[in-house]
Amino acid sequence: MSASDRQRAEGPQAPSTGGVNRPRQTDEGGIKKIGVVGAGVMGAGIAAQVANAGLPVVLLDVIPGGAAKAVEKMLRADPAPFMHRSNARRVTTGDLATDLALLGDCDWIVEAITEKLDAKRDLYAKLAPVRKPGSILSSNTSTIPLVALTEGADWAADFLITHFFNPPRYMRLLEVVAGPRTRADAVAAVSAIADQALGKTVIPCKDRPGFIANRIGGQWMQAAINHAFDFGLSIEEADAVMGAPIGVPKTGVFGLLDLVGIDLMPHIAASMKASLPPEDAYVQGLREQPLIARLIAEGRIGRKGGKGGFYTRVKASDGSSIKYGIDLKTGQDRVSEKPLLESLEAGRRDLAALVAHPDRGGRYARAVLLDTLSYAAALVPEVADDIASVDAAMRLGYNWKWGPFELIDRLGPARLAGLLRAEGRAVPPLLERVGETRFYREEGGALQAMATDGSYRPVARPEGVLLLSDVKRRSKPLTKNGAASLWDIGDGVACLEFHTKMNALDPEVLALIGKAIAMGKKGEFRALVIHNEGENFSVGANLGLALFAANIAAWGEIESMVESGQKTYRALREAPFPVVGAPAGMALGGGCEILLHCDAIEAHAETYMGLVEAGVGVIPGWGGCAAMLRRWAENPKTPKGPMPPVAKAFEMISTAYVAKSAFEARDWMLLRPADGITMNRDRLLAAAKARALSMVEGYEPPKPAALRLPGASGRAALMMAVDSAVALGRTTPHDVVVCGHLATTLTGGERDHTEETSEDQVRTLERQSFMALLHTEATLARVEHMLDTGRALRN
Amino acid sequence: MPSYKAPLRDMRFLLNEFTDPARLRSLPGCEELGPDLVDPILDEAATLCEEVLFPINRSGDEEGCTIENGVVRTPQGFREAWAQFRDGGWPSLACDPDYGGQGLPKSIALLFEEMICSANLSFGMYPGLSHGAYAALLKHGAQVLRDTYLPKLVSGEWMGTMCLTEPQCGTDLGLIGTRAIPADDGSHRITGSKIFISAGEHDLSENILHLVLAKLPDAPPGTRGISLFLVPKFLPTPDGKPGARNGVLCTAIEHKMGIKASATCALSFEEAKGWLVGRPHKGLSAMFTMMNEARLSVGVQGLGLAEVSYQNALAYARDRVQGRALNGAAAPDQPADPIIHHPDVRRMLLSMRAEIEGCRALAMWVAQEQDVATRHADPATRDAAEDFVALMTPIIKAYFTDMGWDATATGMQVFGGHGYIREHGMEQYVRDARIAQLYEGTNGIQALDLVGRKMGAHAGRYLRRFFHPVLAYVEAKSEDERLGEFVLPLSKAFGRLQQATAELARRGLSDPYEAGAGATDYLKLFGLTALAFVWTRMAEIALAKEGEDPTGFYRAKLATARFFMARILPRSGAHLAAVMAGGATLREIEF
Repeated sequence: MSASDRQRAEGPQAPSTGGVNRPRQTDEGGIKKIGVVGAGVMGAGIAAQVANAGLPVVLLDVIPGGAAKAVEKMLRADPAPFMHRSNARRVTTGDLATDLALLGDCDWIVEAITEKLDAKRDLYAKLAPVRKPGSILSSNTSTIPLVALTEGADWAADFLITHFFNPPRYMRLLEVVAGPRTRADAVAAVSAIADQALGKTVIPCKDRPGFIANRIGGQWMQAAINHAFDFGLSIEEADAVMGAPIGVPKTGVFGLLDLVGIDLMPHIAASMKASLPPEDAYVQGLREQPLIARLIAEGRIGRKGGKGGFYTRVKASDGSSIKYGIDLKTGQDRVSEKPLLESLEAGRRDLAALVAHPDRGGRYARAVLLDTLSYAAALVPEVADDIASVDAAMRLGYNWKWGPFELIDRLGPARLAGLLRAEGRAVPPLLERVGETRFYREEGGALQAMATDGSYRPVARPEGVLLLSDVKRRSKPLTKNGAASLWDIGDGVACLEFHTKMNALDPEVLALIGKAIAMGKKGEFRALVIHNEGENFSVGANLGLALFAANIAAWGEIESMVESGQKTYRALREAPFPVVGAPAGMALGGGCEILLHCDAIEAHAETYMGLVEAGVGVIPGWGGCAAMLRRWAENPKTPKGPMPPVAKAFEMISTAYVAKSAFEARDWMLLRPADGITMNRDRLLAAAKARALSMVEGYEPPKPAALRLPGASGRAALMMAVDSAVALGRTTPHDVVVCGHLATTLTGGERDHTEETSEDQVRTLERQSFMALLHTEATLARVEHMLDTGRALRN
Repeated sequence: MPSYKAPLRDMRFLLNEFTDPARLRSLPGCEELGPDLVDPILDEAATLCEEVLFPINRSGDEEGCTIENGVVRTPQGFREAWAQFRDGGWPSLACDPDYGGQGLPKSIALLFEEMICSANLSFGMYPGLSHGAYAALLKHGAQVLRDTYLPKLVSGEWMGTMCLTEPQCGTDLGLIGTRAIPADDGSHRITGSKIFISAGEHDLSENILHLVLAKLPDAPPGTRGISLFLVPKFLPTPDGKPGARNGVLCTAIEHKMGIKASATCALSFEEAKGWLVGRPHKGLSAMFTMMNEARLSVGVQGLGLAEVSYQNALAYARDRVQGRALNGAAAPDQPADPIIHHPDVRRMLLSMRAEIEGCRALAMWVAQEQDVATRHADPATRDAAEDFVALMTPIIKAYFTDMGWDATATGMQVFGGHGYIREHGMEQYVRDARIAQLYEGTNGIQALDLVGRKMGAHAGRYLRRFFHPVLAYVEAKSEDERLGEFVLPLSKAFGRLQQATAELARRGLSDPYEAGAGATDYLKLFGLTALAFVWTRMAEIALAKEGEDPTGFYRAKLATARFFMARILPRSGAHLAAVMAGGATLREIEF
């Protein structure tokens, strides 16, 4: 492909400079190219993540054309394995039979073919002559021991197990198993690139069946299923008890089975039975459930089968859908009902209260937790050297909020041991050892975990990782209020953290930003990073507050809150010190606008930015409109004239576009070419801090921009586009109203391109439009619907 | 002896001038409701109340109800009055034509309700409870239950009750102990004890239909596990006659401070046959249908008693001569002036009048929105009206009944020591008014409902239905110089209400104790602001009619409006201060 061919193939949304969509690279241990064999869900997903990391990747499959098909399929998939469509061009596809030579210059080859020892050994033998000397070979096996894979092999020094979780783009856990003969530098090189380029948290595991996460997770699922039958719970009750109270995703256990595929259960059971000793508690607990066998026989294997599973959604004739759940006692489907158990109420506050509750929910929770927590406690050091690794594996591989040892600490280790003894069960040695104390403690501001010898050792962070939670543990904030805090993260850099519910922005957050700016002006720090470790950077302005104020017609208060946001964000941009935004997760509405006012953004790759205000019937009111106009106007690639920046901003804001990755954000100038992308979330703060420090020397705040806006004629052009969308039935009546206000704002209202329009003038238009829209019933209905349901109302 | 004349002039003013008559007539089933149709109904209603119900009010109070072997007898004359009430078709006034009702809107029924409460509150309890049972059955009952029982309730042949309270459970219905066991025939067997059941047993009708809250065997804990059952005193025969006696027995009637002619019963259910109304475990929401309507009606009880007390206080003040007026003799030919010339007596009379006329206007506004909520063709308009009614319900209930207690006490005060003597009848109104602050949820509970359920619901959507129209009105009238003396204080009170709402919501979000601490004062502030709004609108109408005012009705309206703005509305400042003070002073002391 020539360079110009490539440009065409990428389509109009592709970045115009080659390589701009690569994340910033650090030390990758010499691995420059990666091969993946096996284009199933896992292999293809791993290849996509390598491509996301900006590295070339070869993807081969045993089925002719299979790898190319897998890439095509991934381009249509939602959620998307690729962070940007153009990343697919980094994947070179081929057939195993004919294209083995493509792997010749790969530094690391990941095998992700069928879980059969012979097939794997056969492949490794074929790879031996092709593989470049010194290259690394790893298997993504989840069930076959390394010792079996490498038996008698003369390449065992190059070999390790790298066990990814599904889907490889989104799941942060990578279990790595090194054999006795594996080269230390191979483990180091793979770990480094997995951590820094692929964004994974590498957890070293022992060569034991199921490693850490599937061993404990599998045992937990089995216990949660069997006890649900034993105690006569409904699936809704079981999922509710297994969900929020113990920090498991709300799918609980039966919902999770539907998600991963019910047919997987017998496979895992068979594999564990074959590889674990018969006295292992996992094997002891194995039980065939006739209902599950029946579901599999009927092809009701969960969401992927299309025939439902434990839960089945049936569309009614009026378009609504009814959720059915299977009755574990009768095996019949019945309308799913919200569970009502007193133990659930108790468990909302306190895990110990849940476990102590006498109703069936409490007895169920007690039985499952006794099984799983005692099992996990007995597995260190069998599966991992330390408890922190086990907890991290369960958090990152199963999305548990707390790992098993963290759960034991929440419950109280002595209480758990007492409950085990009361039932005449063995107390694992580690649990005996911890006695009346806890597995984790804080010592001198550092987090420590108990080791197998009973001593406490610091929970290690990889080199170069800086976590705000660690900073918070060891220091006091420079300043704080109920909504935000300012922390000293070293070297004269401060970090501003939001900590409201969902990190929504409110007057208190604005006040703290204002205070931080004043402190920075007094020289109390040299640079500022805006970052937090919440699931989402910020979901935007506190809509509940705004809607309540609108409902009591407190228009003056609302307008002053809009104005205060505009002033605060402007002051942030014009502050005499560099400001770097470091988002991860959602950065929406006002949470996106604050980033647009930073000097630079260092974004986690999984950042979802967007000015989504139109979805709730308003337009960005905290300088977002002005900032987008400026970004497009200042981009040298934007065509000349007053209209192109306006058209770009209008297209994005009117559709409430949200970028599905940091790379997509670049397409819309939400990220500028100079902004950085970090693949590993744990490394985000350090990268942002380094970026901020690099800007301190000779820092000059940006000057206010003078814009040339097209005025009424530009507005007419935009509204023509809206009219044609109306004709196509793509817009609702209120969309047109919102678009009208947005068009007026972006085109400069009464002004025209012969005169300069200041950013402040655009902000005034923003504010007027925002207030006018908030006075409409349709906008209030949108805001309310978003608050009540989390979805946009199309009115 | 007291007297009563229905305030028809004011009622017609509200119907024809204050609320938009065109809006009412735009609703399905209300197209014909002009003065030609409505005036005669109001006249007849007034006659019934003045001539049939009012004369047995004091005798009923003196005699009270009696119980003997589970049989309850109402005071002399009640059976005959009920027969007249029933035969006149009054129970069916606001009922569904499908079941034999006349289909009149709440806007008109409300005025009749007020007259009944003024004339004889005890008597009014009986049809009032029946109508509540009718409403719940109509909305939630299965078709077969509706077909069997609704025509009987509508005609007044049979009557109804609401059975919620038990000895151990009043406000907290989660504690209910009455059980319902499913029977093979699809019915249930109800067993348990209920107390404070108004009209629970009496001799007015041949059958009584009890709507009973009870728990099914598989009920979840708390209020989410309550179901509603219909339990007739006599099981109906196939041809709709009272048949076999059901297992429900009146074990006692309460001895009360007031409403003595209303039988307040303790009922014992023993394996009584009942039928589920609505869905299992959803009884509380079905009951709330009744309760919201009942709370509005209880508010009107406060209004009705205040009105009759005011009429008698006014008559007494005109008649009674004591002392000389402070601005010169008004009746120089007599040894003393009528006390109505004394400023403090005028203060008392005007306080009553300004509150009564304001509350009546506010009730009419809410009643019309209730009609819109049930009848309007557009769902969004219906929803908006329902929001408004939900918001105003606790305010009407608590503000009106507190007002009723204050006003009847003031009416007694005008009489001096004579007010304390039973034969003047003024002390009965005080005693009768007191219950309205207590039942259907105490007024403290109403305030908690306002700040806890209504204020925060859907991020304040209910509030929008009050705040937006009031602010729009204030803004529209801000240039109107003649109206300025009313709009300015309204606008000030509105600002206070906004401030209190924002502050209470903010504090309540992080600490519910704070919301509870400010709730009652907030409700009062809300009620005063709503009255200021309706008074301003009434003043606007009166100003326009000043030229054509032969009876002085509009002049009196303006004078009363000015009194309200100058002498009552300023209390909003005190309530705001109390709300803003928060809960600190409630927590501090150790009792």
